[in-house]
Amino acid sequence: MRSSPDAISPPQGGETHKYRYAVAGIVAGAVNGLFGGGGGIPLLVLLRRWAEVEEKTAFATCVAVILPLCVVSAAVLLLRGSVSLAVALPYLAGGTVGGLLGGRLFRNVPNVWLRRIFALFLLYGAYRYLR
Amino acid sequence: MREWLLPFLFGAATGVLSAWGVGGGTLLLLCMTLLLGVDQTTAQGVNLLYFLPAAAASLPSHRRNGYLDAAVLRAAVPFGVLAALAAALVSSSVDSAVFRKPFGLFLLFAGASILLEQRDRSK
Repeated sequence: MRSSPDAISPPQGGETHKYRYAVAGIVAGAVNGLFGGGGGIPLLVLLRRWAEVEEKTAFATCVAVILPLCVVSAAVLLLRGSVSLAVALPYLAGGTVGGLLGGRLFRNVPNVWLRRIFALFLLYGAYRYLR
Repeated sequence: MREWLLPFLFGAATGVLSAWGVGGGTLLLLCMTLLLGVDQTTAQGVNLLYFLPAAAASLPSHRRNGYLDAAVLRAAVPFGVLAALAAALVSSSVDSAVFRKPFGLFLLFAGASILLEQRDRSK
């Protein structure tokens, strides 16, 4: 990862890249609002490549940024009445267990795995959207 | 029992990937539509709801391990929420299908470049 040209700034960007963080958030929100999800993808790419956030921090921080955006999308969905909570309940329970487990395992997962799994889903998404 | 056991197990397995931020929701969508016979619209709704507890459950660990960047959160969350609201309002009046091809191309290039870069980086 290239270091910032400004030698005084902290290497991970910190406050110096806050406009880039904001733009990344706007792009993520726009994609989430338009497609009902998927905003995490441009968010991760922008945070890593453009805002120079460390890789593992970028993946975890994406989850934290996307959560409130999905709350917005989920609220819209529930208001429109297009999903029933009863059907979703077992998935929610499973997701909670998986989320807890994944959070604990995350530290020990090699970055290259994270990258490969992420890239595979991107290519699958590309197939879906371009087909 | 099968009615809730398989959804629970699929949710738990894909929840691990969702906690890592690598696309567990996409995998859950595939499991639901291809293996459990859930229709696409319902699956998308369930997938969105499922992500909320899965992501929330992972955050205490991420925070404890120092993987959450506070400066990113402060800048990206408020602007992201505003953009999501604006886009949700626009999406009901604009045909979002026109954005599918450009987004698909972005996914293709981003996915390919991430797969190729792994040789250049350590670890």
